Amino acid sequence: MSAQDLAFYYLGFAMILSGLFTVFSRNPVHAVLSLLVLVVHQAFMLYLLGSEFLSAIQIIVYAGAVVVLFLFVVYLINLQKEARFRVFVRRFSLGLIFFILFAFLFVKYFVLLFNMSTGLRTLLPIDPTSSQALKMMARYLFTEYLFQFELIGVILLVVVFGTVFLLRKVKEERVG
Amino acid sequence: MNVTVVLIPALPLIASLITLIFGKRYFKDKAHVLPVISLFGSFILSLFVLYDVIQGRTYNFDLYSWLVAGSLKVGLGFQVDPLSAMMCAMVTSLSFLIHVYSIGYMHGDPGYYRFFSYISLFTFSMLMLVLGNNLAQLFLGWELVGLCSYLLIGFWYEKRSAANAAIKAFVVNRIGDFGFALGIFMVFYYLGTLYYTEIFEKLPAIKNAYIEILGYEVYVPFLIAFLLFCGAMGKSAQFPLHVWLPDAMEGPTPVSALIHAATMVTAGVFMVSRLSPLYVMSDEAMAMVAFVGAITCFMAATIAPTQFDIKRVIAYSTLSQLGYMFMACGVGAFSAGMFHLFTHAYFKALLFLGAGSVIHAMHHAPDPNDIRYMGGLKKYMPITYATFLIASLSISGIPGLAGFFSKDEILAMAYFSPYPWGKAIWLIGLIVAGFTAFYTFRIFFKAFHGEFRGRSYLHGKDPHESPKVMTIPLVLISIGAIFSGWLGIPESLGGGAHFQKFLEQVVYHHEVEITDHTLEYGLMVLSVVSGLIGILLAYLIYVKNPMLETLFSSNFKKLYKFLYNKWYFDELYHYVFVIPTFFLARTFVNLIVDTFVIDQTVNGSAKATTSFGSLLQRFHNGIINYYLWGIILGLILYFVVYYYLS
Amino acid sequence: MVDLNSYIYLSLILFVIGLFGFVFRRNIIILLACVEIMLNALIILFASISYFRKDATGYILVFFIIAMAAAEAAVGLTLAVALYKKLKKVYTEEINLFRG
Repeated sequence: MSAQDLAFYYLGFAMILSGLFTVFSRNPVHAVLSLLVLVVHQAFMLYLLGSEFLSAIQIIVYAGAVVVLFLFVVYLINLQKEARFRVFVRRFSLGLIFFILFAFLFVKYFVLLFNMSTGLRTLLPIDPTSSQALKMMARYLFTEYLFQFELIGVILLVVVFGTVFLLRKVKEERVG
Repeated sequence: MNVTVVLIPALPLIASLITLIFGKRYFKDKAHVLPVISLFGSFILSLFVLYDVIQGRTYNFDLYSWLVAGSLKVGLGFQVDPLSAMMCAMVTSLSFLIHVYSIGYMHGDPGYYRFFSYISLFTFSMLMLVLGNNLAQLFLGWELVGLCSYLLIGFWYEKRSAANAAIKAFVVNRIGDFGFALGIFMVFYYLGTLYYTEIFEKLPAIKNAYIEILGYEVYVPFLIAFLLFCGAMGKSAQFPLHVWLPDAMEGPTPVSALIHAATMVTAGVFMVSRLSPLYVMSDEAMAMVAFVGAITCFMAATIAPTQFDIKRVIAYSTLSQLGYMFMACGVGAFSAGMFHLFTHAYFKALLFLGAGSVIHAMHHAPDPNDIRYMGGLKKYMPITYATFLIASLSISGIPGLAGFFSKDEILAMAYFSPYPWGKAIWLIGLIVAGFTAFYTFRIFFKAFHGEFRGRSYLHGKDPHESPKVMTIPLVLISIGAIFSGWLGIPESLGGGAHFQKFLEQVVYHHEVEITDHTLEYGLMVLSVVSGLIGILLAYLIYVKNPMLETLFSSNFKKLYKFLYNKWYFDELYHYVFVIPTFFLARTFVNLIVDTFVIDQTVNGSAKATTSFGSLLQRFHNGIINYYLWGIILGLILYFVVYYYLS
Repeated sequence: MVDLNSYIYLSLILFVIGLFGFVFRRNIIILLACVEIMLNALIILFASISYFRKDATGYILVFFIIAMAAAEAAVGLTLAVALYKKLKKVYTEEINLFRG
C-alpha cells in the first residue's frame, strides 16, 4: 500500500465524515466549520490528483472566501440564537428510503456508464506528474477555453453587482 | 330543379317561422296575414304544378344531399307525379281555406300568432311528406306532422285534458312510428335504397325472400308492409291505435278540420297507396290492411251514434271513413281509396268547420260541443245549416254529391275484387254506410231542427250566424264537397273516371273489367238505399218521435254501455300499458336507479375530484424542501426507467 | 489498489450526502452549504478523471467549477440575507410565500 493510497483513504474518510457532520449538525456554525474541514481535505486531494495549482486555488477561493462568506452570513443573521429543535424537514424518514434507493441506482448507473466509455479519445493531453503540467494547463485555459474564461469573469462581475443591488436599502413603498 | 315545386312547402315554412318569432310582439292581431298569403301562394303554385302533371310532365329531383352514411345516400327530394300533385292541391286548398276560417274562429285568443304559426308549420310538414321522393323524407314529414299535431291538440295547454290528449296522441303515434322506422330499416336492408323509384325497380329481388323470426318463416315483403302499416295505423288512427283521435278533439276546431279530417290522418292511406307495388306482393298484407280498416270502420260506426259531443261524433266518423279507405286499398283498389280520401277531405272538413261554427255560436253554454244543448239552429245560422246539410248528404252517399261516387267506387271495387275477402269487405262497407248516414243525420237533426234547448245558457239571446270570414270558407269547401266527386264519375254512369285514371299512372290497380253492369247498378242502388234508411231512421227518431231516443239505451243497457265507453279500449290500455309503465317509472327507475346509481355517480365523481385536489394541495405548501424532493423523485424515476430499459 | 473507480465512488458518496442534506435541511444557509458539498464532489470527480486519463479537460473544468461555486454561493447567500431581512425567518417551513 503506497503512500498515495493511504492518503486517499484518509482524505476520503475524512471528507465523508465532515460531510456527514455538515449535513447532520444542529448548530449552523458547526455545520459551516465542518464544511471548512471538507474543503481543506478537498484541497489536499487535488494536490494528490496532480494539480497543485488547483489545490491552491481551492484553498484561496473556497476555504478563504466561500466559507468565510458563510460564516459572515451566519453571524449576520444571528443564526446561533435561532437553532431550533428540529434539524430536518418533517417526514424525512420516508424520503430516506427513497433516497437510499436513488443513491444505489445512481451509483450503479454512473459506474455502468463510465465503464462503457473507455474508448473516448483524449481531448487535451497532459501529463499531470511532469513539471510542465501547469504550463500546459495554462496554455489550454487561454486558448481552447478562452471564451469560457472570459465568461467566468463576466459572471463574477455580475455577481458583485447583483449582491450590492439585492441588498440595497429600498424605500418602504416599494416593498411588494 | 324546379323552383315552383320547392316553393310550395317553403312558403308556409317561412311564414310559420316569421310568425312564430315576431308574432307575439309585432303582428299580434295581424298574425294571420303572412300565413294566409303564403298559403294562398302555395295553393296557386300547386294548381300550376297540377296542371303540369295533367299535361304529363312529372318531376323527380333532389334538392340537396341530406343523409350520407356509408352506402346510404338520401337527399331532400321532390317527386311530382299524379299522386303527390293531387295531394298537394288538396292540402293547400283546404289549408288555405281553414287559415281564413281561423281568422274568425280564433279571434281574440291570446295564442293567436302561435296558432297560425303552427298550422302553417303543419302544412309545410304535410307537403314535405307528400312531395318526398324517398322514405326518409316521408318519415321526416311523418314525424313533423305528428309534432304539429301535438302542438295543436294541446294548443290550449293550460287545459289539463287538452295537454293529456296531446301527449296521448303523440305517444300512440310514436308506437306506430316505431314499427314504421323498423320497416324503413328493413327496406334499406333488403333493397339498399330509400328512393321510391329505385325501390320499385328492386322489388322483384325480394319476391321470394323469407326471413326467420323466432322459428317462423316470414315473408319479407309482408314483414316490411306490416311494419310500415304500423305507422299507418298510428297516424291514421286505425285499430288498435285509434284511441288518440277522439281525444284529439280537445284542440281547436280548425285543427280538427285540417289535421284530423283532411290531411294528417290521411297520411297513412297516402303511404300505403304510394307503396302499393310493395303491398300487392303479399296477399297477407292486403288482407291485413283490409281487415284492420274494416274493423276500425265498423267499430267507429257503432260508437258514433252514442256520443253527445258533436266533434267526437265527427271524429268517429273520420275513423270510420278512414277505415273505408284502407278497405279499398286492401282489396287492390288503391285509386278508389285515394279518391275517397280526396272527397272525404272536403266533406269532413266541411262537417268540422260547420260544427265549429255551431260551437262558436254556442260558446256561452257549459259545454258548447254538446248536442243536447243545441237545437233549431236552422233559423239562426242558415249558411252553416245549408253547408252542414250538404256535407251530411255527401257523407251519406246521396247520388250527385261527392261522397256517393267515392264510396260507391270502393264498394264496387270491393265486390268485384279478385281477392277472396272482397265480398266480406263489401258487406261491411254497405252496413256501415247505413250507420254513417244515421249518426251523421242524428247530430244534424239534433243541432239544427226542433227547438233551441240552450236559450237559458245564452242569457235569453239568440245564437247568431258566424262572421263572413268563417262562412265564406264553408261555402267554398261545400263546392268541393259536391263537385270533387264529379272528377271520378265511373264509366258506367257516363263519366270518364278521370280521377282514377289519373292516379293509376302511379298507383297499383287491378285490371278489373266490370262486365256485369246490372249487378253494378244493383250494388249502387243498395248502397243508396242503405244511406236513405239511415237518414230515415234518424229522422224518425230525432225529429218525429223524440221519445224513441232512449229506446236503445234503456233496453240494451249493457250493449249501450259498451258502445258508449268506446268498447272500453281506453280502460284496457290504461290497465295493460299505462299503469305498469308508471309503476316501473316511479318505483323502479325513480327510486332505485335514479337515487343509487346516477346520484352516486355524480356525487362520487365530485367527491373524487375534491379529494384528489386536496391530495395535490399538500404538495403546494410553499416549503421548498418538498419541491426539491419532487425534483429528486423525478430524477429517481428517470434513472429507474433508464436503468431497466437498457 | 486505488484507481479511478474508487475516486468515482468517493465522489458519488459525497454527492449523495450533499444531496440528502440539500433536500432535507430546514435551514436555508445550511441548505446552501450542502450545495457546496455537492460541488466539491464534482470537483473530485473531474479531477480524478483527468488525472487517470491524462486529459487536461478535467482540470480546466475544476477551475471553472470553483469559480462558479464561489459566484453561486455569493448570490445564494445574498438572497438568503435579503429574504431574512424581509421575513425575519430562515427556516424553509416558515417561508411559504409560494403556498398554493
